[in-house]
Formats: sequence, structure tokens, C-alpha cells
Amino acid sequence: MAEVKGELQTQEFELNMGPQHPSTHGVYRARLTLDGEKVVKVENIIGYLHRGIEKLAEDRTYTQFIPYTDRLDYLSGMLNNLGYVQTVEKALGIEVPERAEYLRVIMAELSRMASHMVAIASFVLDVSGWTAWFPPFRERERILDLFEMTCGSRMTVSYMRIGGVAADIPPEFLPALKSLLDDLPQFIEQMHALISGNEIFIGRCKGVGKLDIETALAYGVTGPNLRASGLPFDLRKAQPYGCYDRFEFDIPVLTNGDSYDRYLIRLLEIEQSARIIRQAMESLPDGEIMAKVPRVIKLPPGDYYHQIEASKGILGFYLVSDGGTKPYRLHIHSPSFVNLGAIPKLTEGSLIQDFVVTFASIDIVLGDVDR
Amino acid sequence: MFGRGLIKGLRTTWHLGLGKAITEQYPERRPKLPPAFHGSLSLDPQKCNACGLCARACPNNVIIVDSERGEDKKRYLSAYTVKLGQCLFCGLCVESCPRGALHWLPDFELACYRFKDTEHVLYKRNPEGEVSKGA
Repeated sequence: MAEVKGELQTQEFELNMGPQHPSTHGVYRARLTLDGEKVVKVENIIGYLHRGIEKLAEDRTYTQFIPYTDRLDYLSGMLNNLGYVQTVEKALGIEVPERAEYLRVIMAELSRMASHMVAIASFVLDVSGWTAWFPPFRERERILDLFEMTCGSRMTVSYMRIGGVAADIPPEFLPALKSLLDDLPQFIEQMHALISGNEIFIGRCKGVGKLDIETALAYGVTGPNLRASGLPFDLRKAQPYGCYDRFEFDIPVLTNGDSYDRYLIRLLEIEQSARIIRQAMESLPDGEIMAKVPRVIKLPPGDYYHQIEASKGILGFYLVSDGGTKPYRLHIHSPSFVNLGAIPKLTEGSLIQDFVVTFASIDIVLGDVDR
Repeated sequence: MFGRGLIKGLRTTWHLGLGKAITEQYPERRPKLPPAFHGSLSLDPQKCNACGLCARACPNNVIIVDSERGEDKKRYLSAYTVKLGQCLFCGLCVESCPRGALHWLPDFELACYRFKDTEHVLYKRNPEGEVSKGA
């Protein structure tokens, strides 16, 4: 064996992670500067999924833009629909019928559950938990079936309309929804047995990628990631929109702000969403599903902003109208984009395998980041 | 005790492995799709009066409605083409039809080899004036 004389020279090097890396959840690319296995610097490189949705909005009427909102955060299409149509309704001052409001809440919460299930499943897969991929996807499949029977599509739903919803639920919807909610405790129990108590998972995730409240607020992190850091902030309670003020639910809060808590908070939120859906199901009123809306929608000149609590954080739509039939400008404040900004702060100084865990726990969707 | 969580997890895995298979073996078993499914578009040419509202409702200019004026100055449909390659399957066209001429079918297998095959002619009037339904 050759003997090394003198001091060994080491040197930092750059590693390109993504855009086709299996654990980057899409076409995200990180340029990592590494010192051995330690991450020294992280540079987010985004834009591989840029479709110019904000620009497309300027050439579409207000109704025609609804299908494009599905393609922002494609794991929770209903929530994007909701945010957009409520922005236009706020600008026009449209009263949405009771039944439509309740259907919107049911669909939005189902969408939130589906999104969290994907988040959990892909997170666990990133730490090599193969079995735990399947139970969330099995349950999500049933949610997508519910979407399919109502609005004809599974992910790109285009269900909400300005002034209501596109279609009423078919008669087989409510029994299927009820059986889904009845099976949910079993699913949660399975997830706890498979992941929450798993020593390997705990070892990989506890204390990894800690995010304290001050940093979270400074970076504008919202949604489950903020609540896992200990701040009980949820727009559904803080600034109720739609008919959320009529339902009883808790905001789950955890205090550690590490990757493990960011996993656990999503399971807790699934439970709360199920609670909201149960209440909405029991008090679902009869009646119209569409308000009287003019065929050609023109917004009075001005700018309008509305935000909702989407599955990944605050989703806001900023609309500028010049009085015509098309938006003059539409800006989308997407939660994934904002949350992604905290990744360099969270991961610099950690090991490269912790980067993967932290990144997975933040739960971003590239369609939402790049738009 | 260290390892209890692992054993519990393995037990759950074992149960999942022995449970009923839930995967649908697709080409052999056909999926049962709900009637509302957005599979492909279908047109009832008898009901259509070529008003073009569907073409105007479409966000992507997928639909081309060709119409002609008859001897009685009435407008009638001469051809109805859907460029499915650009279709978002949102259903705004179906909703916009005031006469219920356009609707969805659950036939979802639309894959084809050439790009020009994505253009579906739902209706074309023969030169003789006969009504026929294209492919």
C-alpha cells in the first residue's frame, strides 16, 4: 500500500442532481457543491416544466382558464380550481348556491387527502420504504374514482365553474365516499404500523432538516410545513372562505419542524379532512349547483387577489382586469415555489442523503413551481 | 424495545401481501368506467345546427365547425372536426352546447401512430348531400 506523505489535498466539487433524478419528484434540478458527502451549497434550478400558464391566461376568457388551473399542482386539481373560481367570484360578487359550496368543500378536502397521500407515499419511497408506497396509493385510487364518476377526469378535473360546479354528484357517489371514510382509520393505522414506528424511518428523518418558526416565516413557508414547525396557521380558520366557517375541525400542530413531523402532520391533516367531509356529507343541502352567471364574463377594471389554503400551503391568484373578457394579467402565488426557496437553507451543511429526505418532506410539485 | 416497530411493520407488510390483489390486469380485464368519463367526443349531427358555440367555448381551438347555407338560407352543418391532439378533455364544449348534440363517450383508447390521426372527423356531409358519420 502506498503511503500518503504530507497533508491530503481535498477539494469541493459540484454534483448535478436532477432533472431526471428519481427522488427529485419531477424535473427539479439542484446544483450541489459537495465537500465529500457534506452539502456545502445548494442551488435550485427550476423552469424545466415551465408552460407559461400565466401568459396563457391572458389569451383565454375567464371560464376558459379553468382547465389550466388543474395543471398547476396536478396532484390537487380541485384546490387550484377552487382558488381561481373564488377569485373571479369575489371580483364579480357572485353568490354561490349552498349545494355547490358544500360540494366544493367535499371535493377540495378529498383533493387535499389525495395530495397528502402522494406526499407520504413518495416520501417513504425516497427512504426506500417500498411497501408503504402502496396503501396511500390504494386509498388515493378510490378518491380518484370518486372524481372520475363526478366530473369525468381523475386528475385534471376542471370541476369548478364560476358560480358553482360543473356537475352534480351521481347517486353512487355518497355510498362510495362513506365507505372510503369508514376505511380511512384502518389506512391510518396501517401507515402508523408501517412507517411512524419504524426505527429505520425514525433514524433517517428525526431531527433532519429542522425548520424553526422564524426561518419558516422569513422564507414565507406555509401549509403543513409551517404547521409542523409549530405555528397553527391555516387559512381555513384564519380567513374562512367558502363555507369553511360552518365546519368543526382542528388544525394539527407539531413542534419539532423536522422531516418526521412534516410526514406526521400530513397523516393528521388527512384525518381532519375526513372530519370536514363527514360533516359536509351529513348536512349536504339540496338545490341548484350553479348561480346565475352572465354568459360572457367581464370583470370591472381593477386588481383582485384571493388566496386559499391548498394542500401544500397558501395558493393565491392575483388578477388584473382592464374590463375586457380576458384577464389583463394573472399571477399565481404557488405554495410549492415558495416552499422550495427554503430548501438551500434547510440542507446546507447536512449530508447528501439528508438532502433527499428533507427535499421529499417539503413536498413540492414541479407543475406548481414552474407554472 | 428497539426493533419492535420493524416487526410490526413487517407483520403489516405480510398481511398486505396475503390480502386480495387489487391491481386490475388492464388489457385482459377492461376497466369499468363511469358514464361521465371524458373518453372521446361524440356528436349527434341531427341535433347540431352549426352555431359554433362549442368552438368558441374551447380554450385551445380544438373544434372546427364548418357550415353551409342551404337554399332556404338556413345554416346546416357540413363538417365537424376535433383536433384531439390539442384537447384538454375539460368538457367546456359539451357544457356549452344548447341543444345537447355533443357528448362524451367512455372510449378512452385513442392512441395512434401518426399525428394526423389525432384529428377526428366526427361528421362530414357527402357531396350528394347524404348524412354520414366519419371515423
